[in-house]
Amino acid sequence: MSNLTRTYGPFLTGLVLLLTGVWIIALIILPQVNLIDRAFVYVPRGGEAQQAALELERAQQRIATIDFDIRATEKEIAQAASGGGSAGAGGAPSPSNPFAPGAKIGSSNVVRPGMPTPGLAPPAAPPEQRLKTLETERAELQGQLGGLKERADRLKAEQQAATGYSLRNFTTMSGLHWRIFGMTLVYSFSVTVLCFLVCYPIAYAVAQTRSPERVALLMLGLVIPYAINELLRIFAWVMILANRGILNQLLDTLGILDLAQGEAVHWVASNGAVFCVMIYAYILFMVFPIYNTIETLDRNQIEAARDLGASTWRIHWRVVLPHAKPGIAVGSIMTFMLSAGSISVPGLVGPGLHPDWFSQIIYRNYFEAGNWNIGSAQALLLLVACTLFILAVMSLFRVSVREIAR
Amino acid sequence: MQGNEVALQDVSMRFGDFVAVHPTDLTIRGGEFFSILGPSGCGKTTILRMISGFLRPSTGRIRIGDGDVTDLGPNRRPTALIFQNLALFPLMTVWENVAFGLEARGVPKAERRRRAEELLELVALPGQADKMPAALSGGQRQRVAVARALAVEPAVLLLDEPLSALDLKLRQHMRAELKAIQRKTGITFVYITHDQGEALTMSDRVAVMNQGRIEQVAATEAIYNRPATPFVATFVGEHNVFRGRVVGVANGHARVETPAGRFVGVNADGLAEHDEAMLFVRPERIALAEGHPEIDNQLDAEVERRDLEGPFVNVFLRAGGRPVVMHLTNVGDAAGRLDGRQRIGFAAEDALVLRAGQLASE
Ligand SMILES: Nc1ncnc2c1ncn2[C@@H]1O[C@H](COP(=O)(O)OP(=O)(O)OP(=O)(O)O)[C@@H](O)[C@H]1O
Ligand SMILES: [Mg+2]
Repeated sequence: MSNLTRTYGPFLTGLVLLLTGVWIIALIILPQVNLIDRAFVYVPRGGEAQQAALELERAQQRIATIDFDIRATEKEIAQAASGGGSAGAGGAPSPSNPFAPGAKIGSSNVVRPGMPTPGLAPPAAPPEQRLKTLETERAELQGQLGGLKERADRLKAEQQAATGYSLRNFTTMSGLHWRIFGMTLVYSFSVTVLCFLVCYPIAYAVAQTRSPERVALLMLGLVIPYAINELLRIFAWVMILANRGILNQLLDTLGILDLAQGEAVHWVASNGAVFCVMIYAYILFMVFPIYNTIETLDRNQIEAARDLGASTWRIHWRVVLPHAKPGIAVGSIMTFMLSAGSISVPGLVGPGLHPDWFSQIIYRNYFEAGNWNIGSAQALLLLVACTLFILAVMSLFRVSVREIAR
Repeated sequence: MQGNEVALQDVSMRFGDFVAVHPTDLTIRGGEFFSILGPSGCGKTTILRMISGFLRPSTGRIRIGDGDVTDLGPNRRPTALIFQNLALFPLMTVWENVAFGLEARGVPKAERRRRAEELLELVALPGQADKMPAALSGGQRQRVAVARALAVEPAVLLLDEPLSALDLKLRQHMRAELKAIQRKTGITFVYITHDQGEALTMSDRVAVMNQGRIEQVAATEAIYNRPATPFVATFVGEHNVFRGRVVGVANGHARVETPAGRFVGVNADGLAEHDEAMLFVRPERIALAEGHPEIDNQLDAEVERRDLEGPFVNVFLRAGGRPVVMHLTNVGDAAGRLDGRQRIGFAAEDALVLRAGQLASE
């Protein structure tokens, strides 16, 4: 602290500390607290209170529509009185016609069943009679409104009295969703393991390359795909794996299947495709930490092990892997977290065709069902699972936080 | 001792256009302490790596014992290498390090542990089995590396400047221990060093290398007393060099005309008259010649500086515009007061005449 002040001066130090504080509070603590808060508040959906609120809203909307129609009809009558009666009757636009100019002024232009049939055909009844009907209907509705409002308020108050912190967001989660949650962890773990199997040989090979130019070239090859937008990277795979995609066309060209006959391998309809794309998407997060640790391994140790008669397998098992442990831990944690939380990959690669990922369920709760509380609860579950995974990896690899930070 | 002899036949090593080791024939006898001595970059490590199997020679064959090992990998050769930086496994305990070779051979754990303890005993490291290498001192790590190499019962132990990281005291101590271990085990030691003192004190025989060529292979006395080339003469120990031309030869001796005078020395290369020659005299063979007319070669020199080394005094003189060094045994104050112009000299038997060539200091 005093060290910081000495290096950067009190003003800069203060600024940095302030920004860090703001960052931690605004971007980490507050959203997390909000998420946790939501997760433990249960908001029932489709209950009586909601039904009542809906009915009230509908009645209010209907009254607004009738008011508009009444005004239009009155205008029609006035016109008929002043000018030639026939012109108004035929030419005036239907008041409820949403395409008519001025129709949008009304509180609602939504066409609902049960409303007076809108259309270009002139209404059959004379305007005075229609006005009468509208006014009676309005009075009727107005009478109901009070009762509806009272009921809606009462139910809402009851419901609010019932809500409070509870575990209901978790306990009411369906068995299917729990299963998807579990499977997502299994999937993410599989992706992590597969990614490790792919990345370790790459990282080892690059780390063992002696000429610096070749290392730079290999690294460039690994990094270049990352210069491309993530979505494009995923879409590239969608193009490859689609039913009429590159891979199937290749198989078609090789005569293995006949696309014209409708034969196609449904690559995207399996989690294999999702795994494959995820490994591609997150490979760098595994390769770099492992490469960095292997790179620091003294080559003489590998040679010493070989000289003492160890097989390649044993050299890796006893010398290289133990040395690379911190890198493997970091890479695994990153890959696991990224794949468990990935929405773009399962969402873009054959959505709906492969088993759902939990991230998709969370997404739907937030943005399709509009139920942020359940969404928060599920997000929290995922967060806890990922944290447990980190702790498990760290204890399994006997890696301390300090080593990981290194 | 036939089983652990190492023979290189016409072995050479090229890296691209660069010849690291020129075609070499070399036989290292079974059970001997053999040193390869040479300046940095002369190809010592390259030879060692060819013997251990990490490098495949560009030409030639390598034989260990009765078997041709040229085509075998390092894990299948009866050699063990001790690396310059030791290359202990930092994440294994001391005993696991020592037993690693046994582990690779599938020896059961209890037996491994027992052998490791035995070997640690041999290298004077009892009771350290469960420590991590990082917890040991430099000398102790050195011993662990030796024990680890001995564990696989190699026919040949290859050591690449293993003592260079240690301080002088410890280095001298470890020299003695290595030598003792070598005697006890009867294993052939091939020891690489650029320290000529180390090579002379430890070895039975020494090969002196320069720029990818072995210039001389001989027992230590011969290397010191009868160097074969100007390079060996100046690389091993100190030598005064007088360049000149042979002006006469007679019964094994040659007379050389140098800027400092005409001197007679042993004509080891069989030079003839008019040949370019170099005459070498060790500083300790030069003596004060005042009143000693029996000394064959005499010259006048100006004392420039005296350094007391303890048992002897290093006297720097200048004769005929060239520096001359002489060691005077410290027998009192006389040597310390040596000053001004002096007559010095050396016997013909103590001077060596060789064909002119490259010197180590150049
Ligand atoms: N893999 C290689 N590729 C190219 N040149 C090499 C390689 N290995 C060694 N050399 C070269 O071969 C020469 C001999 O190297 P070597 O390592 O054998 O020297 P050394 O005698 O062991 O030196 P030092 O005492 O410094 O260890 C050096 O000039 C070195 O640059
Ligand atoms: Mg070397």
